[in-house]
Amino acid sequence: MTKNLLNVKNLKINIEDKEILKGLNLQINEGEIHILMGPNGSGKSTLAYTLMGHPKYEIAEGDIIFNGELINDLRADERAKRGIFLSFQYPEEIPGVTVEEFLRTAKTSVTGKFHGVIAFKKLLKEKMDLLEMEEEYASRYLNQGFSGGEKKKNEILQMSVLEPKLAILDETDSGLDVDAISIVAEGVKRVQDDKKSILVITHYNKLLDYLKPDFVHILLDGKIVKTGGIELAKEIDERGYENIRTKYSN
Amino acid sequence: MDRWDKMKIIDKENFIFPNIIDYKKDYLKSETKLPEGVVLEKITKGINEIIFDYLNTKEFQGVGEKFTSLAEESYNSGIIFYIPKDVKVESPIKIEFDMDEENPVVINQNIIVAEKGSEGTIIMDYTSSEKVGAFHNGLTKIYAKENSIINIIKVQRMNDISHNFDSNIAIVKGQGQVNWISIELGSGISSSNYSNFLEAEASEANLSSIYLGDGKRKIDLEYSMIHKGPRSISNIETKGVLMDHAKKVFKGNLDFKKGARLSKGIEEEYVILLDPTVKSDSIPALLCHEDDVEGEHAASAGQINENKLFYLMSRGLEEREAKKLIVEASFRPIIDRIPYEIYRNIVVDEVERRLMDGKN
Repeated sequence: MTKNLLNVKNLKINIEDKEILKGLNLQINEGEIHILMGPNGSGKSTLAYTLMGHPKYEIAEGDIIFNGELINDLRADERAKRGIFLSFQYPEEIPGVTVEEFLRTAKTSVTGKFHGVIAFKKLLKEKMDLLEMEEEYASRYLNQGFSGGEKKKNEILQMSVLEPKLAILDETDSGLDVDAISIVAEGVKRVQDDKKSILVITHYNKLLDYLKPDFVHILLDGKIVKTGGIELAKEIDERGYENIRTKYSN
Repeated sequence: MDRWDKMKIIDKENFIFPNIIDYKKDYLKSETKLPEGVVLEKITKGINEIIFDYLNTKEFQGVGEKFTSLAEESYNSGIIFYIPKDVKVESPIKIEFDMDEENPVVINQNIIVAEKGSEGTIIMDYTSSEKVGAFHNGLTKIYAKENSIINIIKVQRMNDISHNFDSNIAIVKGQGQVNWISIELGSGISSSNYSNFLEAEASEANLSSIYLGDGKRKIDLEYSMIHKGPRSISNIETKGVLMDHAKKVFKGNLDFKKGARLSKGIEEEYVILLDPTVKSDSIPALLCHEDDVEGEHAASAGQINENKLFYLMSRGLEEREAKKLIVEASFRPIIDRIPYEIYRNIVVDEVERRLMDGKN
């Protein structure tokens, strides 16, 4: 029997008195790939930040249950330690900290186990090779002066090093060219297995050609209005959101 | 009372000096043989011949006249370092003052003279043992003649019940260069003044500094670049962090005197405020007596960006750890300029210790 990993129940999020998520329900089981699609402003990034625990996004109503545990009140670091990872749409630049130092600190924090310099160097090199990243990235300051594509690749590198149970990819495909997308998709596939799950958040899905989703959800105006298989994504691809919007708007 | 008076955090006029006693420990650590003609010795009243030419320093106030006079008249330690023409001293000169119960007072005068085309590096490290309320009052004078380079690194990591006053002056001749690195991590009260007189064509002074204020520390910093020569160059780059109830005043002066045409000075100060209970004042001043000069200043004081913190925390770092990482990262470019790994590590360790001891 497949085990439930994430269960979001009737989630409502307000930002500055404006309701952004209006009772969202989402269930992800172990080993599944989910795609969440929606137009700009539908609440996709709000969901991503809320699941990761950004302090600005306060839960007005509803529950987030991860691995059987209610995590509404957990901080971002506590969620990371339980196995949630967010690939940021706009990763922050941290000058003065190298990619390698940062990832070693993160890996130590997430696993609670010390990772020695030499062993970690080897692990990092393996993961970087898979993503076709030059060795020199390891000694560059985190995201500083990285191109948009390099930042996204770096997020996937972090994901593959930290090996989360649930990886949320927020618009990871935007800003990537075709070659980079196939490499990133390859990296994502390597992380995913029958225990690990992926939630891909996108408004126009380029990763679809490479990843085979189990479910596709359409987010409109703060709610998931339709769930289906890959055919749903293709329908959006061809006809846009208007058709669905007309059907579901009151 | 002018604006500056209101910002005074240390009452220097009424500061009472401790009894002046000898400093008996060895502070001059010279490991290698020095090139011929180089003089490196402890300062001794009336004995060091070369110092007489360099004793009086006009128009220099340091941290206060009272303090510089004390250092000039009643020093109990200090060095003379003289580098002859075209000589490069490869190994750094290390001076370490470790104040303890028997030697709690250091009043030092240091005189460094670099003749034309010479080069040398000095590291001065100040520490005090636990539970000793130590007192340091120093005066360092550098004379960098034409085409010479002096690199000087000052690390102050005395304990929180100590008092530190440090006045520094550099007089730089044509195409000479003085590079300061100032690391201010300790002492309950710490007042530092760095004044650089860029006297001739293309004289240059660079000052990179970090400071960390924790507990109830009071930090008073004044950095001056006085441009007199044409095409003279100055850079001030300061990174700070304040936490708990620390107070800081930073005064940065770029002063372009008549004759300093085509000169350029830049000053930057960035401070991270980890607690709302800290007090941070910055007063940049730009004085121009010539039209054709370029003076820039930039300053920012603020808390750690919420999104940055969230990004790091989303990778499993606790808030305190994430803040520590950001602070260390902001210090890193300055620390990396210290040319010796052992001192880089000393500084990194002390920063880490002070950040972890704090409430943040």
